[in-house]
Amino acid sequence: MGLKRSQRSAKRSSHLGVLPLTSMIDVVFLLLVYFLVTSSFAQPERDLPSSVQTDGGGVRSSELQPQIVVIELQGSEAVYRVGSNRVLTQDGLTQLLRSLPKAPGIAVKAQREVPIRFIAVAMQASQDAGFTRRSYVPTDR
Amino acid sequence: MGSSRKQLGHHLVVDLTPMIDVVFQLIIFFMLTSHLGDLRRTEIDLPRQPGQEQQDGEDAAMIIDIDQAGNYFVESIQVDLNEIHRIAAAGIAKEDITSSFDVLIRPDRFAPAEYLDRLLNKLSGVGVSHWKLGTRASGGAG
Repeated sequence: MGLKRSQRSAKRSSHLGVLPLTSMIDVVFLLLVYFLVTSSFAQPERDLPSSVQTDGGGVRSSELQPQIVVIELQGSEAVYRVGSNRVLTQDGLTQLLRSLPKAPGIAVKAQREVPIRFIAVAMQASQDAGFTRRSYVPTDR
Repeated sequence: MGSSRKQLGHHLVVDLTPMIDVVFQLIIFFMLTSHLGDLRRTEIDLPRQPGQEQQDGEDAAMIIDIDQAGNYFVESIQVDLNEIHRIAAAGIAKEDITSSFDVLIRPDRFAPAEYLDRLLNKLSGVGVSHWKLGTRASGGAG
């Protein structure tokens, strides 16, 4: 009786050993490699919210006028002008904006040929300086 | 007795091919449905600024990409400003509340401001008052 049982279990285990798992493992490995590769290349995106303010209107005379950051191009670098102050770096602009009152808000305006990355710098600086009312003024066509 | 043993033997040879087929079908389905948002965006060299985190579930109503040559893309399809005007107007009419129509603009960092200005002038003409500038957190100096 005992011998018969052991023979049967040995037969069953030999049957289980025949399971074709190789292809399954191949597939699992391929998927693992795929997800590892794609996840390392996908960089998270962020954003900088702003409102649009047209040159012609939008702000009534009774309201406080926002301070304006004008971005100009000097060679390949940008110059950020706030009133009579001119700064060349993002840190410098952030420091300058921190010293300004926040209530009127801030507007960013750029010359037509200024690369958009400098607009992002000005918007980031105004956010870091603590301005909650931020707008961008597109130049007329 | 002999036939039952033979049957047992047949059942134990499990064919995994249909199982792998099904797993693949499921993976393709979930990959496509979970990354539909990404399909709306083209590969753009965005400005490098930390910005703020994009909120989950707060997908922009309209995503517009601007490449370095000044071409505009909506949902990865190249469109002109008149088409953008039409899409935005239709979106705003559908939303009913202008302020809730959220536009995400993903510009190439080296594209000149005039392409952004043209687009924003067109959008503000329809009634869009708020927009977001897409950025990439990594790197620095704009």
